[in-house]
Amino acid sequence: MKSRIAILLAVVCAGKLLATDVTADFASANKLYAEGKFAEATTAYAAILKAGAQSPALLFNAGNAAFKAGHLGKAIAAYRQAELLTPRDVELRANLAFVRNQVPGATLRESRWQNWVGTLTLNEGALLTAGFFWAMFALLAVRQLRPALAPRLRSVTRLAVALTLFSGTVLALQAANRFNAAMAVVTGAEAVARSGPFDEAQSVFTARDGAELKVLDRHDNWVQVINHAGKIGWLSRRQVAVLPGA
Amino acid sequence: MVLFAVALLVRPAAAASFTASLDRDAVTLGESATLALAFEGAQPNNLPMPSVAGLQITQTGTSQSVNIVNGAMSSTVTVSFSVKPQRPGEFTIPALTANVNGQPLSSAPLKLVVSKASAPTANAVNSGSEVAFLKFTFPKNKIYVGQSVVAQLELCLRDDVQNFGNFQLSPLNVDGFSAGKIVEGQRRRAQIGSRVYTIVPVLIPLTAVKSGVLNLGPFNASAVIVLPGHSQGGDPFFRQFFNQGEQKQVALATEPLSIESLTLPKQNQPANFTGAVGQFELAATAGPTAVTVGDPITVRVQISGRGALDSVALPAQDAWKNFKTYPPTTKLENADQFGFQGTKTFEQIISPLNNDVRELPALSFTYFNPEDGRYHTLTQPAVPLAVHAAGVTPLPQMAATKPSNEEKPAQDILPIKEKLGSLIAGKTPLVARPVFLAVQAVPVLAFLAAFVWRKRADNLANNPRLRRRRAVAALIASGLIDLKNHAAANQPDEFFATLFRLLQEQLGERLDCPASAITEDVADGHALLRNAPAALRAALHEQFQLCNQARYAPVRGTSELNSVAAQFEKLIAQLREVKP
Repeated sequence: MKSRIAILLAVVCAGKLLATDVTADFASANKLYAEGKFAEATTAYAAILKAGAQSPALLFNAGNAAFKAGHLGKAIAAYRQAELLTPRDVELRANLAFVRNQVPGATLRESRWQNWVGTLTLNEGALLTAGFFWAMFALLAVRQLRPALAPRLRSVTRLAVALTLFSGTVLALQAANRFNAAMAVVTGAEAVARSGPFDEAQSVFTARDGAELKVLDRHDNWVQVINHAGKIGWLSRRQVAVLPGA
Repeated sequence: MVLFAVALLVRPAAAASFTASLDRDAVTLGESATLALAFEGAQPNNLPMPSVAGLQITQTGTSQSVNIVNGAMSSTVTVSFSVKPQRPGEFTIPALTANVNGQPLSSAPLKLVVSKASAPTANAVNSGSEVAFLKFTFPKNKIYVGQSVVAQLELCLRDDVQNFGNFQLSPLNVDGFSAGKIVEGQRRRAQIGSRVYTIVPVLIPLTAVKSGVLNLGPFNASAVIVLPGHSQGGDPFFRQFFNQGEQKQVALATEPLSIESLTLPKQNQPANFTGAVGQFELAATAGPTAVTVGDPITVRVQISGRGALDSVALPAQDAWKNFKTYPPTTKLENADQFGFQGTKTFEQIISPLNNDVRELPALSFTYFNPEDGRYHTLTQPAVPLAVHAAGVTPLPQMAATKPSNEEKPAQDILPIKEKLGSLIAGKTPLVARPVFLAVQAVPVLAFLAAFVWRKRADNLANNPRLRRRRAVAALIASGLIDLKNHAAANQPDEFFATLFRLLQEQLGERLDCPASAITEDVADGHALLRNAPAALRAALHEQFQLCNQARYAPVRGTSELNSVAAQFEKLIAQLREVKP
């Protein structure tokens, strides 16, 4: 028992130390950014993320540093990852829109319904749906236990059922988008999409830094993508950042 | 052939010898003497290396000479050493031993007197008798701590000195000063006394670092000068081409100089004074001036002028409390070769902490001017700032609503966030976590439980016989307890009254008729009981009989009543088996 308590305390203390370290590293990276050392700041933010820490502010700042260092794709990738955590952050949306405007040429964008569905995080959607779901069954149970209250609860119950169905549908769309509609952002200066998942395959099209593409398939270190013009090609994973759907 | 003939003619000289000699017995500090080790008649097997504390002795070369006198040939090998004293005093080069042709030979000890160089007198200088001398000049009689000046050491060479070289300045004796990089100045010629001298200035940047009376010098140096040779006859025209001159090493020294170093006055010393001494100017710029909270603003402060710029520091700006500040970077651009004049640039990154900030407060810098002995404070006026809150900048509207025509497009991304915020613990979404999904079964199960309960309640409400059956069962259960209590209390009247009532209730429920209508005749005549087992019917009849007899028979005992209650309980169980 004592050993279990000791292990638990050790885990808690380690967690606090980790949080302290992350905060200090975050401040150091911010300082580099403020001093105009954007490449160094990008590396510092990436190191924190690689260590496993993740927060909307960290990803936001990483996107800022990447943009200032001239890496549009990496900036967009960081912003979109932050968007999954805080989709209604107006500053984040503004910076993402600004950086996207700097990307030359046409590129894929989320559809209107994806944007609309993406205003909630997947967890927020799950909690909201669960809330309506619980409320609906609670009302149904009350109607069984107190039949006399049924007439008065009828409209509320109908509303709860409707909200549950609606939020459940939205959640299903969110989940489908998250787990099935992956996106790829080109992070190199130029990425040549090929007809097959190997270097010798014929070139199909070229995507520039920051271009966003829809992922259709994956094979080893290659991803099959489709661009805004409907062209399909294979890109090396080294050239893109693959992100879950919004 | 000639050498062979010479060899036949000459005879070898006598036994070998070893001598040591100095070219002079006394030198001045800064000069050097030459030590010669001569081996005559043979070459040494080992060369003795002289070593004397206070003398720096280094081998400079080896020469060999052959002498033939009256047919006797002698060969001499001479090894030369340069002897440079490190301090004044009397030194003895001890006897040296060398192994020559297997014989140990020793030299005689040598004495060398080293005297300290002294500055020439004014008379000697004016008379022109000094071939070379040093002169030290300091531009001020008194200075302030932190003040920087350029002192001058002048090497004066008389006009007949053809050349000079190997000028070596001893370590500077500048206690209380920090010396910068020494620079040779522009040579010039000047009349000093009765002779013309070539003056080679050596510039020494000095900064006073402590107060009090500070001594500068004496400065010592040595140089090798070339003077015209003594045996120079003939045409002067040819002499200027073929005269190699006579080299002479000279030791040079200056008189010490005392300077008064003053502490900076405490009176009227501003609080933001950081120790800058000199004459300076201040310039500052800040940009951008339209920012968002947390956005970096670069404040560039330039301090230009004359003084020890290297030690000039930007004072802490207390008025910047509404800004987050980062350590400044500095860049020094010297306008002179001593680092006493130029521009020091500070670049300070600051960012406003809130959108209440309206201006970058005035920036001030204080220095002490040693020329007028006063403190001067330079101030740059406040710079107006437009600081927006992070969440109300025009940019976010791009994502939310259609921007109006009056708004300008964004010029840059919004600044970074200063706070890390809460870290995201798990990356697996809730919908993919089994626990979250399992918890969602709870309301469903609760509803199902309520539904079942409701169905059972409805069934009971819609079935009067079932409801009566349950009511009678409950009545019987409590009645049996009453019976046992009456039996125990030996209350036969109450016992049989209860027994009869319970019998009526149970039979009424079974026969689906009112309990009050149940009599023994009714029971016997009912079709249901007619088809019942005979034992049941007999037991039922007996119970009715017992109840009737109790009204007329004498009082019975407790044991008998208990027996009747047991029989009744058994009868009830049998009756419940009868299907209506």
